[in-house]
Amino acid sequence: MLRHKHFFRRIGLFLVILGPGIITGSVDNDAGGITTYSVAGAVYGYNLLWTLIPSFIVLIVIQEMNARMGIVTGKGLADLIRENAGVKITFFIFGGLYLADIGNTTTEFAGIAGSMEIFGISKYISVPVMGFLVWILVVKGTYKFAERLFLIFSVSLLTYVVSAIMGNPRWSEIGRAIIRPQFEMNTQSLAMIIGIVGTTIAPWMLFYMQSSVIEKGLKMKNYKYTIIDILVGCVATVVVAFFIIVACASTLHVNGIHINEAKDAALALKPMAGELASAVFAFGLFVASVFSATILPLATAFYVCEAFGFEAGIDKKWDEAREFYVLYTFILVLAMVIILIPNAPLIFISLWSQVINGLLLPVVLLCMILLVNNKKIMGPYVNKPLNNMIGWSTIIILIGLSFTLLILPLFNR
Amino acid sequence: MICHPSCISNSKEVHMTSFTTFYLSRIIGRKVYDANGKVIGIVKDLLILFHQASQTFERPVVIGIKIRKGKHYGIYSFHHFDIEKIRGKLRVSCSQLVELPQDTLNEGLFLADIILDKQIVDLNGRKLVRVNDVRLVSVSRSTHAIAVDIGIEGLLRRIGISKQLKWLLSLVKISMPSKFILWEDVEAVDFSNLNIKLSKSYSKLQTLHPSDLADIIEELGKKSSADVFSALDEEQAADVMEELEPDAQLHLIETLPVAKVADVLEKMPADEVADILDALEDDKAELLLNEMESDSSDEVRELLEYPQNTVGSIMFTDVLSFKQNNTVEDVIRELRNRKPEASELYNLFVTNEHEELIAAFSLRDLVVAEPGSRIEQIMSPSPVCLYDDQELDEVAEVISKYSMLAIPVVDNNSVLQGMVLIDDVVEDLINKRRTNK
Repeated sequence: MLRHKHFFRRIGLFLVILGPGIITGSVDNDAGGITTYSVAGAVYGYNLLWTLIPSFIVLIVIQEMNARMGIVTGKGLADLIRENAGVKITFFIFGGLYLADIGNTTTEFAGIAGSMEIFGISKYISVPVMGFLVWILVVKGTYKFAERLFLIFSVSLLTYVVSAIMGNPRWSEIGRAIIRPQFEMNTQSLAMIIGIVGTTIAPWMLFYMQSSVIEKGLKMKNYKYTIIDILVGCVATVVVAFFIIVACASTLHVNGIHINEAKDAALALKPMAGELASAVFAFGLFVASVFSATILPLATAFYVCEAFGFEAGIDKKWDEAREFYVLYTFILVLAMVIILIPNAPLIFISLWSQVINGLLLPVVLLCMILLVNNKKIMGPYVNKPLNNMIGWSTIIILIGLSFTLLILPLFNR
Repeated sequence: MICHPSCISNSKEVHMTSFTTFYLSRIIGRKVYDANGKVIGIVKDLLILFHQASQTFERPVVIGIKIRKGKHYGIYSFHHFDIEKIRGKLRVSCSQLVELPQDTLNEGLFLADIILDKQIVDLNGRKLVRVNDVRLVSVSRSTHAIAVDIGIEGLLRRIGISKQLKWLLSLVKISMPSKFILWEDVEAVDFSNLNIKLSKSYSKLQTLHPSDLADIIEELGKKSSADVFSALDEEQAADVMEELEPDAQLHLIETLPVAKVADVLEKMPADEVADILDALEDDKAELLLNEMESDSSDEVRELLEYPQNTVGSIMFTDVLSFKQNNTVEDVIRELRNRKPEASELYNLFVTNEHEELIAAFSLRDLVVAEPGSRIEQIMSPSPVCLYDDQELDEVAEVISKYSMLAIPVVDNNSVLQGMVLIDDVVEDLINKRRTNK
């Protein structure tokens, strides 16, 4: 009696649900990520490729927990943390998140400036113009449209595969590097490893993932699709990261060229892999940067408001949600201003935002794993022993790594 | 009412009765002294009596206190406790420890556990707000919760830097913004951290407009949204269900018992029910239809037969039709008996013995006419009517061209089937706009 739409509903359902994980996966490879992967490839060649495997596993486990919490409770991670961990921890997490994300947004605008300079456009034009566009996109409420548009564009990140192949990588060496990991114990390579893991699992992404799951209104019975979505998203993230490292390793590392920024990688690719590879690399960097520059400040302002109980949302008027708009605009404007200051201490800023990220991540993960094991909150859907095993070892390793990163500079002096 | 702290003032001496106001956050963690000034434990939480009839303007009284003694927790009657302010510091003293019986515990709510940091409904602002602190007052024999603090000052107090910051700001002559909502203007809704199910009527929520209530329910977590919804009476639940976004509708339908959902659906217009069932899986929809009274479910089944994007799929089937020889008085008496919903009165129809549509008249025509006059004297042929299998696209134009609130819908034999309401057309347009974005 009801309409015949089983087939279309199934496909539709898949497309609708196929979302949070994939979107999160694409935002994951932002300007900061691309920079980290490029530098890792240029400095260490194929040697650090193996780090992507543990990153991949951890990413899946954590995102699955996020998705499950979102589906079961219908509440954002910020809400849950505030309601269960109290004001002080909430203040620490969201104060830190806000600071770190000012740094992260600055990195995104650095990505915009850098990639446009490859195409010969001055940063004094590209940054204000893109900043204004981002602001318009968000304030005019076409944010959802923008998200989908970027999602299509983020397919262009796969063009890194092209860049990589144009650089004639040595596949046998790559295979050997993954199977038999090489690891030098020193400050720089340790920092690099933390950088790779940290950029793959950024604290704000955990909040972002859970919110997208809620927004999509997913149910426990769609859990299977959600898992597929997360898998696809994580594979995409790691594949892009892999090819960026390979592209830079097989061109820059072989020739001993060292770089500091993703832009340098694009420039350096030109003589070795050709004009097209360089342009493709720059375009990918541009798309990724704009995508994250749109989402990051907005999402951050949103989570801070959610945690502290301020009204938030782009459908609210300025007077209704003053704190939200102030928080949002402040990140965006400050990030743009920092980029436009000549000789701004960009490396210092990105270093510090990475340090704050590194400190935050274990705390957020700790909150998460306690929440996801809380029967009052999760009912029958608390963690299985395997989740807990991977989750806890991740937390312990991350705390260890972050701690090491923090104290290592002391020994170097 | 959001009020300035001055109206819940700090002053201690008013006439003869002395009272102390204090914040929940300030008393939690305080030491409890016995009559000899010896420390007997630390305050962990306060238990307030939870009135079933929360419409009374009485503020909830504190009946219990949770205290930690070493590793043990105990919940005691608040009767023997005293709270006073000595040089700006709170001092909690206790003359006798009497454990609270279990049935008293069940009537109470722990403030720190259930209210603090949770979202509650601000009835005047018609939205969810987060509780940063609770303000209480201690009058001679009893202590009451009087307001919730939702402002930034409350946050800073919890972090422990409110006084210092206040002092700093006072140097530059700025006062810290603070926001309080009186207890009678809030309703606690989030009991998801509670293991037991609270038999609670959310009576204060019934003063809210269904559309505001729907917004609030959408924002709540999954457990609390189902709790709040199932506490509504059927009529109100139906109105709220109509206003909810499809996602929230589905969630509630899948969470609540089938019988309850069917009762609510019966109270809703058939076209809305058809829309909801359409989004469900066929088994579930069939289950609900079988559970509903057959006169409601038959209408819905008919509507479900219409393909999407046809007039039939959004038409409103509760139409009122009369015969042309009825008098105005007959019709008005009939309306008084049936007490139709507002939207049923958008347009009234006249049909012949084969139920074929002849003409229409409005409530205005009816009201201004003499009681004895016949309907054929006040009716006029409907300027336009739609066919139930017609495409939806043209409807918006038609409805705005003739500025009608409702257009009659007939089938191919001119038999009156229902009407298309301007509300549904607008909703359809908005949805289309949204999906195009």
